[in-house]
Amino acid sequence: MSSIKKKDQQQRANLLQGTLDMLILRTLLYGPAHGHEIGKHIQRTTNDFLQMQHGSLYPALHRLEKRGWVSAKWETAPDRNREFKYYRLTDQGRKQLTVEESQWKQMAEAVARVMWPAAEESQEI
Amino acid sequence: MRWPWKRDADLERELQSDLELEEEEQRERGVSAEEARYAARRAFGNPTVIREQTHEVWGWVPVERLLQDLRYAARRLWRSPAFAIPVVLILAIGIGTTTAVFSLVSAVLLHPLPFPHSSRLMWISQQDHSLPGLAPEALSYPDYFDWRAHNHTLAGLASYADSTLTMKTHGEARRLDAETVSGNFFDVLGVAPLLGRDFGLGDETPGRHVAMLSYAFWQSQFGSARSIVGQSITMNGHAYTVAGVMPKGFQFPFENPAPVLWTSLADDATGDHPATQQRGFDELSLVGRLRPGVTAAQAGADLSVIAGNLARAYPDTNKQYSSAIVEPELEHMTGDTRPALRVLFGAVCLVLLLVCANVAGLLLARGSRRSTEFALRAAIGASRTAILRGLLIESVLLSLGGGAAGIALAFGLIRAMLTLMPVEIPRMQGASVDSAVLLFVLVVSLITGLVFGALPAWRLSRSAPARAMGEGSRTVSSGRAQHRLHNGLVVAQNAICMVLLIGSGLLMQSLVRILSVDPGFDARRLLTCRAGVSFDQVGHDQHYLFYQRLLERIAALPGVRSASAGWPLPMSDTSASISFSIQGRPVAPGDQPSEALGLAMPGYFQTMGIPLLAGRTFGAEDGVKGQPTVIINEAFAKKYFPGTNPIGQHMQPGLGDGAFDHPMREIVGVVGNIKGKGLTAEAAPQFYVPYAQAVITNPYVVVRTSGDPLALQSAIRSAVHRLDAGVPVYEVATMEDYLSKSAAQPRFQAFLLGCFAAIALVLATLGLYGLLSYMVAQRTLEIGVRMALGAGRSDVLRMIARRGLLLTLAGAGLGLAISVLSMKVISGMLFQVRATDPVTLVGTAVLLCVVGGAASSVPAWRAASLDPMRALHEQ
Repeated sequence: MSSIKKKDQQQRANLLQGTLDMLILRTLLYGPAHGHEIGKHIQRTTNDFLQMQHGSLYPALHRLEKRGWVSAKWETAPDRNREFKYYRLTDQGRKQLTVEESQWKQMAEAVARVMWPAAEESQEI
Repeated sequence: MRWPWKRDADLERELQSDLELEEEEQRERGVSAEEARYAARRAFGNPTVIREQTHEVWGWVPVERLLQDLRYAARRLWRSPAFAIPVVLILAIGIGTTTAVFSLVSAVLLHPLPFPHSSRLMWISQQDHSLPGLAPEALSYPDYFDWRAHNHTLAGLASYADSTLTMKTHGEARRLDAETVSGNFFDVLGVAPLLGRDFGLGDETPGRHVAMLSYAFWQSQFGSARSIVGQSITMNGHAYTVAGVMPKGFQFPFENPAPVLWTSLADDATGDHPATQQRGFDELSLVGRLRPGVTAAQAGADLSVIAGNLARAYPDTNKQYSSAIVEPELEHMTGDTRPALRVLFGAVCLVLLLVCANVAGLLLARGSRRSTEFALRAAIGASRTAILRGLLIESVLLSLGGGAAGIALAFGLIRAMLTLMPVEIPRMQGASVDSAVLLFVLVVSLITGLVFGALPAWRLSRSAPARAMGEGSRTVSSGRAQHRLHNGLVVAQNAICMVLLIGSGLLMQSLVRILSVDPGFDARRLLTCRAGVSFDQVGHDQHYLFYQRLLERIAALPGVRSASAGWPLPMSDTSASISFSIQGRPVAPGDQPSEALGLAMPGYFQTMGIPLLAGRTFGAEDGVKGQPTVIINEAFAKKYFPGTNPIGQHMQPGLGDGAFDHPMREIVGVVGNIKGKGLTAEAAPQFYVPYAQAVITNPYVVVRTSGDPLALQSAIRSAVHRLDAGVPVYEVATMEDYLSKSAAQPRFQAFLLGCFAAIALVLATLGLYGLLSYMVAQRTLEIGVRMALGAGRSDVLRMIARRGLLLTLAGAGLGLAISVLSMKVISGMLFQVRATDPVTLVGTAVLLCVVGGAASSVPAWRAASLDPMRALHEQ
């Protein structure tokens, strides 16, 4: 692995760090899912832009579980005859998602205002 | 929260199942099985990293690191048993002895009394202002009733007084230790009966006879029959109704022997002159319960007001008792033993400290052998704190091992102490390894481990890696600072040892002086006992006649030289003070002096071996109808008749028995002083009245024998029973028993401190020996070089021995200084020996130096007999 590529990956990972929790919570809004599904979903919906290693999901999932934002249970998958650890959003997690979402929005708007001031004006017209 | 290993398994399963799923999906896309597995792995990332990161989420990392360190330390110790086992044993000695003494201290001083809100229970008495200092005096019934009725600070005030009752069982009379108590006695203590009903104030009505049984007595005497409640039992010729049975373990007062039953104070309300109506007949002990929020001082002030009023209203009897003494019951009970236990505990803590220093020395020596290991670990990146932590964990592990072994040792020590211990210490039988003691062991072990581990660990973790590695490869000498620390530890051990040796030396000297005190009588081959003749059924004349006949029969027994009776028996813990006036010296009523009373049958002084100094002893002429006479002792004569001849003078003790009403008595003799209250007590002034003229209690029968006194026990018993089968015989003991009991406490203290000092001496010697041996081993090369360059064997010998002696002397000097500075602690326990006794101090120092010299000689000799060539080669 060349050093440049490694740096690139790290940047993406850093970007993820703050938002990964939010993305997981948002994904679970559709219903319970196991780690693999969550990873796949995030990857698919971001058009493979966030091509993270699935492994990095697990520390995040366990962190969310510890904070009580998701709960976990071993359940049989409907399509495979095997048990997977399914995560589901708790009420607390739902609240947290709203909080993070609004925070993210605020930040994104702030960043956007700095980056594209004209675009904002034109939107107003 | 789930356990960490469970969570690990869970995570493992989760990763596995998701990974398999990924693999399956890859395969479903048509990738080959092998390719699929690799692709899945790639997509997944490094599982170890994932595991570790997830781990950290759950926050168990520090605990796991600790467990890892523990495992590592345990493995290291396990691999060096030659080091670990002696250390654990030494620690066990230190922790075990400390624990045993602590369990004693805890049982006697720290445990609360077994009553609800026991901190509010107060021991209450009145102050005798005719004496200097704190001089508590018992109360009379009328005083007690006034105090009970008029105080504002107590929730309840109860009285109790020792009594004895005679009960006939299976044809044999048995004497029972009992207490005559007020109706609110159990209520004040806060303990309800297990069976039946509590006493009430109604039970104080004259003529009522009620009894409360102790659990043990109920079990042994009545086979735990519940039906006993309400039935009547005959004691002292009266029918007592059993009111109830107290719960198991209930006891008050805490005396030995424990009272087996309690009767109401109505027992003292009988007769023509009942005790309940005699102000001045001071025999009651009081226990009171403070009202919530009231302090002991407030209660004292409150009761002192009442006492002051009584002193003004009844000057004849109460003049000098114008204030009250109120102190917490627990403090009162343990007050006498407190200083001695404190000294013992202090001594045992010193032993523990010495053990710490000793083990620290061992760790230091072992550590410097391991300095290469530490240096290597430091060089490959272990932080200093990591090494420090590892060392500390090792020492804590050692001390916990020592603590566990110490508990086992403490079990044995406690048992040994309880059998060796004089019975006078209240509550000490409760000493055991309970939860408080176990907690103590745990805390002490941890502290010990940190104390002995911290210094070496700090020292060792500071050594610079490069230098230490260099040292390891070719040692000339290890770090100077390390040596200094090691020397300091040895000096400290010797100093502590010196302190303990001085302490035990002083106590032993003191014991020797106590044992050589002349008690004023001849205790050899003297048997004593009491016979419980009932005062309710036998008149005074017959009472006296009984003893006259009994003594005649005993005197006729083979092996008996003489027999008599008297009261109180020296060292028997019985006494009475009676006020008196001397003819021709009028004083205001209430200002009369009072001194110790004695009663004697003819022949008492001769049988006891108390010398007659002037006049005569009691004879047949001092009988019931004889002239009232009195004999005084030397101290009495000195105090009241200095420079004059007391014989023929008259005095009037305030003592009558109905037949005489306080008669004026002629002094007919002067006898020698005796130590009545113990060998260490001053001989007090005393006057003796003929027993025939004051039949107020059952006297002690004293029998001088020609052979073993105890061999006559059964003959004396049957002599009593042939006279009257209803009279129990009790308190059969030799006079030597009383004497040895009187010296039991100092003997026990000297023994215990002697043991501690012996342990200290052995450990300090081992410490010195260990240091010098280590030094010789470390300096083998240097010694070899010196010898190769021409140093003689004697030079080497001197070099090592001088070091040993210097260290010992430094320790001895330090210990001496500490002892002299802290002599106040022990001086209260000494008898006729000053805490700075030069013989003890010098003798101890010499002993320590001799032992130190012996300990140094072995390594010194070993160094001197080194072969220089081999020493140089082997290094």
